[in-house]
Amino acid sequence: MLGSFAVGKTSLVRRYVESIYSDKYQTTVGVKIMKKVAQSHDHEVTLVLWDIYGEDDFQKMRWTSFNGASGFLLVADGTRRATFDKAVELEQKSREEVGQLPFVFVINKNDLVDEWEFDSSIEDQIATKGWTTLRSSAKTGENVDQAFSLLLGKMMD
Amino acid sequence: MSSLLSLFVRELGYALFQPHGKGKFIALTEAPVWLRDLWPSLPAPSIDLSEKSAFLENFLDEARAFWDSGRGGECRSETWIESTPEGREVPLQAVALHLGAKPVLALHSPDVQFHEQVRTLQTARNSLLDHERLLREIQKKEILLHCIVHDLSQPLSVMHVALDCLTEEGLDAKTKKILELGKSASDQQESMIREVLQMFSADLRVTLDADRSATSAPDLRKSADSVLTSLGPAFETKKVRLTLDSSESANGNWLVRGEESRLRRIFSNLLENALRYSPPGSRVSITLEDQGNSCQVNVDDQGPGLPPDLRPTQIFGLFSKGKEGSGKAGLGMYFCRITVERWGGSIGCTSLPEKGARFWFRLPRATVASTEHRKRIAPSRPPAPALQRAIPLEQGAVRILLADDQEDIRLLTTHQLEWHGHKVTAVANGKEALDAASHGEFDVVLLDEQMPIVGGVETARKIREACGKSAKHPCLIALTGNSTDEDRERLLSEGFDFVLAKPFRWSALNDLLGFSTSKKATTAAPSLPRQTQTPPAATLPEGLLERVGGDEKLLRQMIRTFLKDTPKRISSLQQQIRHKNSHEVASLAHAIHGSAAIFGAPEAGVLARQLQNLGRDSDFPRAAQVYVLLKEEIAKLEQNLRGYLRRERSFVLRTLRKARRVAPKRSRQ
Repeated sequence: MLGSFAVGKTSLVRRYVESIYSDKYQTTVGVKIMKKVAQSHDHEVTLVLWDIYGEDDFQKMRWTSFNGASGFLLVADGTRRATFDKAVELEQKSREEVGQLPFVFVINKNDLVDEWEFDSSIEDQIATKGWTTLRSSAKTGENVDQAFSLLLGKMMD
Repeated sequence: MSSLLSLFVRELGYALFQPHGKGKFIALTEAPVWLRDLWPSLPAPSIDLSEKSAFLENFLDEARAFWDSGRGGECRSETWIESTPEGREVPLQAVALHLGAKPVLALHSPDVQFHEQVRTLQTARNSLLDHERLLREIQKKEILLHCIVHDLSQPLSVMHVALDCLTEEGLDAKTKKILELGKSASDQQESMIREVLQMFSADLRVTLDADRSATSAPDLRKSADSVLTSLGPAFETKKVRLTLDSSESANGNWLVRGEESRLRRIFSNLLENALRYSPPGSRVSITLEDQGNSCQVNVDDQGPGLPPDLRPTQIFGLFSKGKEGSGKAGLGMYFCRITVERWGGSIGCTSLPEKGARFWFRLPRATVASTEHRKRIAPSRPPAPALQRAIPLEQGAVRILLADDQEDIRLLTTHQLEWHGHKVTAVANGKEALDAASHGEFDVVLLDEQMPIVGGVETARKIREACGKSAKHPCLIALTGNSTDEDRERLLSEGFDFVLAKPFRWSALNDLLGFSTSKKATTAAPSLPRQTQTPPAATLPEGLLERVGGDEKLLRQMIRTFLKDTPKRISSLQQQIRHKNSHEVASLAHAIHGSAAIFGAPEAGVLARQLQNLGRDSDFPRAAQVYVLLKEEIAKLEQNLRGYLRRERSFVLRTLRKARRVAPKRSRQ
């Protein structure tokens, strides 16, 4: 799980693995690892999900955690435009550090429509980059399973 | 390891392991409590730690590389979280090191430090989120502010001027009364709008003032570089070349008024817009120009140029989209405009001669030192022209150039000015105003701030440049819907002599310029030659009598009020500076500035404005220095006005005596 702080990475993982959600923001320090058995092409696959702390001025990513990763969810918060810039930066950095990996770009907090900041100029940029993108909401569960399934599919291809 | 040493290490909270065969480890020490909680089956004679933890499995690759290298020191993992069978989270750290040349893995649970770190980061990130939320709220208010200004004020302008025009049409008393009711209601509405604007303005001031401080001033060049880097891939994908050039004359100083993140967003919006219309193989170039007190950015593309169906003002309007509908929400350009204007800059666009379009914006330079700040608030341009030199009052007609893109306002204002006997040239934008100004001579130029092609600020600047340093430039008056104190200050610092808030009424212009109030008033001039009625002109501050419409009684009253109120204000100002009361200093200086403007004392006016800004900036040491100079200037003005009152009184007495000498003769006849 890659993305700026407070975009909802931990919430997405908890919604996916444990089907629970909390409105209270609790920052992640360090790395949390969870597992989930999923189906892909009639195979049972165990996903080991590395919920990595969000990067900001206080905590920089250590890319050693990324060694051996098969893919990642790149997460941004649709109500905070700056999290898109951070996603762009992290995606570029991931390519430099560990090479090209399959990933899905998830624009989270789709339930907060009134506060939405990702305008069409960002959508244009995403389209230009050709990223596989989903709008999700860890709060309502919208597209959460789909995001992980999509990533799993890309990793298994 | 001896059992005593093993116990000691355990008490420190560490568990030591030694590699033993393929992926296995042997425990060297007793298991600490956290380890027993986490993995109850430990310690076993030989353990596969990779099986216990996915994180360790990953880290052990790194650790083995370290052990194999034979390097000294240690290889430390970042913190990770494991859960006990009961679900309690345990923070862990792993350290690979050599003990006596033997490879050793130490596991540790930094429980206390970890929770302290979590608390600190939680507080810091909550604060960051609050800050972001606050900025978003401010931005919403800015947009609302502009909506109020433009959507509510513009029709009110037309109503005001239309009602003023009707007033002059020789109506009967009953109709006039009805008309007055309408005017009163529109006045009330205007007053309500202004109150709302002032409220927002006060709310925004903290942020805006922060925008102006030298420490937060963004660097235009660095912002451009940063956006270029982030948008580079998008340009590459579309095979559009992106270049950045800047003139050398700025000596590397591209600090401008504004705020870094919003400046980058402006760059980003303009570049995304250019990319959207650029064909593959073309170029988008950014050029930075040093323009002395301001810096200009041009974004040139080689696309189809501006859409013929949209005027530049529409392009920067709310929800404006090109006809081709390229998927934009119509907020990007609007955001650029309101942000640039809020920082005291201007923005525009034009089609390039061969092909493509230029989007540009200009921002004032940041105030990097207090001396620079003084320059900004006291620009070294000639003082505002004395109006009696520009306006041939004896002829009654004033040559007025009016530029406003709103046709109804233009028509009504022209009608009204012409009705009062003035000669009006009305144009629809800044470019036409510049053409007219270059071909004709004008006493007064009324410029709408926001006009297509060339805006009001830009037009005023070019007219001033064309006049050089001569004090004979026409009187430049800004007509603006952005009518907060902040906006007035900004427009005055941009080179306007006066600012009229839209919706403006004839009476406001009349008060400002001292025009006679109607044709009747002009034609009903006193039968005696003017100079026989007024005291010698040399005794008056320049243009003062004309500024009050030649009404000597009113002038005397104004002078008396000034002489009564100003010493109190000056005294109070000194106290407020001493008490470091920022708001009061700014407020008193503002009032004195207004008086200085009325009585034609430019030096006092400049100093009062400096003091007003220093008050707002809470720069009290400098305010105390400026106060001394202002006090001297005000004293000179007071002396001059007292002298006028004395001379004028003796003039009246002389006239009365003369009249008395004549009267007996008449009575004898």
